[in-house]
Amino acid sequence: MTQPARIALVAGLALLAVAVGLTLSRSPMSIARTNGTPLREYRVAETAQGATYCQPHELLPSGTSAIRLSLSAFTGPRVRVVVSSGGSTVTSGTRGSGWTSRVVAVPVKPLPRAVSNATVCASFRTHHETVTVFGMRAPSALATRQGRRTLQGTMTIEYLRPGTRSWASMAPSIARRLGLGRASTGTWIVLLPLALLAVIAAAASKLLLKELS
Amino acid sequence: MSEDSGTRTPALVHAGTRAGREDDDGSERGTRGGDARALRRRAPVAERSRSIRQRASLRWALARSAAPLAWCPSASMLRRIPRAAWICALVAGLNATCWSIVTPAFEIPDEPDHYAYVKQLAETGSLPSPNSTRFAKEERITLVGLRYYKVRQQPQHDAIGSRAEQNKLQEDLLLASQASEVGSPTAGVAASQPPLYYALETVPYDLAGGTVLDRLQLMRLMSALMAGLTAMFVFLFIREALPREPWAWTVGGLAVALAPLLGFISGAVNPDSLLFAVSAAIFYALARAFRRGLSTGAAASIGALTAVGLLTKLNFIGLTPGILLGLTVLTVRAARSSPVRLAHRRLALAVGVAFSPVVVYACINALSNHPPLGLVSGALQTLHGSIFAEINYIWQLYLPRLPGTFNDFPGLFTTKQLWFNGYVGLYGWLDTTFPGWVYSVAPIPAGTIALLCGRALFESRAALRSRAAELAVYAVMAVGVMALVGAASYHGFPAVQAEFAEARYMLPMLALLGAALALAARGAGPRWGRAAGTLIVILFLSHDVFSQLLVVGRFYG
Repeated sequence: MTQPARIALVAGLALLAVAVGLTLSRSPMSIARTNGTPLREYRVAETAQGATYCQPHELLPSGTSAIRLSLSAFTGPRVRVVVSSGGSTVTSGTRGSGWTSRVVAVPVKPLPRAVSNATVCASFRTHHETVTVFGMRAPSALATRQGRRTLQGTMTIEYLRPGTRSWASMAPSIARRLGLGRASTGTWIVLLPLALLAVIAAAASKLLLKELS
Repeated sequence: MSEDSGTRTPALVHAGTRAGREDDDGSERGTRGGDARALRRRAPVAERSRSIRQRASLRWALARSAAPLAWCPSASMLRRIPRAAWICALVAGLNATCWSIVTPAFEIPDEPDHYAYVKQLAETGSLPSPNSTRFAKEERITLVGLRYYKVRQQPQHDAIGSRAEQNKLQEDLLLASQASEVGSPTAGVAASQPPLYYALETVPYDLAGGTVLDRLQLMRLMSALMAGLTAMFVFLFIREALPREPWAWTVGGLAVALAPLLGFISGAVNPDSLLFAVSAAIFYALARAFRRGLSTGAAASIGALTAVGLLTKLNFIGLTPGILLGLTVLTVRAARSSPVRLAHRRLALAVGVAFSPVVVYACINALSNHPPLGLVSGALQTLHGSIFAEINYIWQLYLPRLPGTFNDFPGLFTTKQLWFNGYVGLYGWLDTTFPGWVYSVAPIPAGTIALLCGRALFESRAALRSRAAELAVYAVMAVGVMALVGAASYHGFPAVQAEFAEARYMLPMLALLGAALALAARGAGPRWGRAAGTLIVILFLSHDVFSQLLVVGRFYG
């Protein structure tokens, strides 16, 4: 292997190890609060043109840095979220189009402190693509609004913020969970992907060293 | 694929409903124990032995139909495969195995449907019905026990995580494995796909025995083997197509072996895994024929591979115009250096071998009251809109719209947001994504690779001109796949904007990706080429590692 290629291999692998270490030292996003966990989900609204849905009387925990809305779409539109309280905007954020799922997380400017009695508005425009809002049935005082119209339920919203535990500190519980729900169970299962990745990295490196000489 | 949407809009490519909804079937829990025990007591021995006879006869029929197509490399052929290609295959196989472990059971698009197809084929010897909407009781119980309906497309829900849930699942699995129900009434979106992949998967299905999860894991390993074949054929394709710099073959082969999307899909029960392998093989066979001429063996190989592809998944149809063009070009060339009749005979051999299984498949479908060409028949019946509107839609599904055309994707840059981002990271049931900044940064290395590849192409422009026909064949194959996926998506448009805009549908062109990466390494020049190639491989390895960490964090975090 040529000298630059050898250096590239060592530096690349070292960089990968550092990046993995840094990632594991960080905390994943966790749910700080949700406005309700429906036992049976309810279609609050459905639109193929786009709309603004506002959920009043929300309590946003401090540190909220993403808001996860129960919106469902195949090819989701751009979604803008604005949180207001007392007539002024508290925080806002946008998620680009192209998402696909039953929920969409919109990053927002982190909240320095908790905000109560806030209104969370989600706006989007679609062109034929149907977007469904999921939530649960609720009395009109708590229900989601679409313009002046009061819907028959509340849109499910989750407030996310960086958790207090790092990925590394969660490793034992992740290892235990990874060993469940499969043909052979046990925490030892986690060793398999780790060993396989090590073999893969070693085999690839050895091949590069041999063939790129 | 969901139970309730298993037979919705016919399409050539099936992705399942990305946003389909199902509720956890709680009522199932209350009654299944008693039902299962009662069914077990009545286990009809005669029915089981009939089922075994049917299975044997179907396998015999499949084996017989595949026998002339089987492409059995001799020991000497295998020995001629470079060691580096074997290592690429090993890396890809191990990588897909790793993915098969980290991805929870059935949390991959359409895996419940594909499993159901294998179950039906293995236990009854017949193809699944496209009309039924319920999985077999055994599979339903397993899905509920795994909290599949809660976890799927809802990243706020993790896979099962407590010992109590695991114990309950074990009880359910035991009960489910004792159910006497034979086959699976439905296979959802998989129902109209050709049977070759599923027939192969009946082997691990039978060998594993045990519970649904035992069988699923062994079936996933079978798919992982196909990832190995894919990487090997990509390596061999690069060797034929770009013979000048042997070290670059390793760069392309290894990078493809480490591609996370290949590992993700080939770590699951999904016919795409065989489709990728056979697609890479056909690219290799064509490249070899372009380099060495269309011999009788080459014609038979191309025909056999085409037949295998058509029996694997309907998406392979997208490659066939390019394959036919390739055969035509090769025949014209062969006619210049050998008797015209001989060249034509080889063309006829390739085409005959390629399409005879399609005729058999159509007959089987017709005899079992399915549309003769499966989903193709349905797709042909549901064409809508003008042809120009469809072409415009297909164009915009991949590229920015042309001036003066109607905008089918307002506010959406499809190239980046659907295809590029989809390739960078969209796992699970398309519900597992990286943080937004990753998709913003990813174009930098991708753009650098594209620039290096462009440089290499520019420097080789004289050689490219002399190989224009060969390149045109590869281009037609790529465009064919893209057009097929676009046309399938157009059926759901405008209610669903881009139903099949999933990057995995582009992986039949992995051979071209491998060649592009090899070219990119060469594009860095003689001094830095190897270093660039090494960095490309490390980039793919990093992408793979972080993709698996992402999936682990999503489901078990």
